[in-house]
Amino acid sequence: MSGDVTKTAKPAELQFGPQGSAQQDGPFTATQLARLDEALTLSSRETGLTFSVYVGELKPPARAHAEALFEKLTDDSVLLAVSPGQRVSHIVTGPGSSTRLPNRSCALAALAMRAAFANGDLVGGIVTGLRMLADSAGGTR
Amino acid sequence: MTVVQTLLVFVGIPAGIVLLIFLGTYGSSLVRQPNRYRPGKPWTFEPSWYVPHPDAVVHDTGQRQIEAGSSSTTAVGGASGEW
Repeated sequence: MSGDVTKTAKPAELQFGPQGSAQQDGPFTATQLARLDEALTLSSRETGLTFSVYVGELKPPARAHAEALFEKLTDDSVLLAVSPGQRVSHIVTGPGSSTRLPNRSCALAALAMRAAFANGDLVGGIVTGLRMLADSAGGTR
Repeated sequence: MTVVQTLLVFVGIPAGIVLLIFLGTYGSSLVRQPNRYRPGKPWTFEPSWYVPHPDAVVHDTGQRQIEAGSSSTTAVGGASGEW
């Protein structure tokens, strides 16, 4: 189950497929990875947008780094960038996805994620954010 | 009682009880949740990027939406938060 979620050790190279033993050293347990995988897959399938989650350090200025990461994706992508060390999270939308997800919806999702992160629940916050974003984006047109 | 016996009774036994209570309280979580994140603690893990399984994300044309390294776009909107 957790093998379905794709993790890239180096964010510079977006790749598919599990990266060897990297998953065992990762910050999340197998159960948490399964939850993350389910939320990512369901929200992407439901909306037709490509959701992706980045967890790690964002070099300051964090917003610019998150947007630079986003440039590796497609127009229809939504990036959730979370930096637990710096306690910041960013949601980035592109030309295709911003019509479905206005900044207002993103701010609401960011607020809900913030509440979970402040309690130390990283995966819960990410899953909540994904669900809220998928709900506000609605189904495929 | 000798000095050693006194020390054992009045220091050793209380210290043992405190240790037992500590292990009973925190022992299981020390073993089971080594990766637990708490706000304010440094994040020492490598950055990781999670994307949905490619089979789940299919265009109307049947093409995958993400092709590694082949696409580029610009950020338009979004939101941010701190905690």
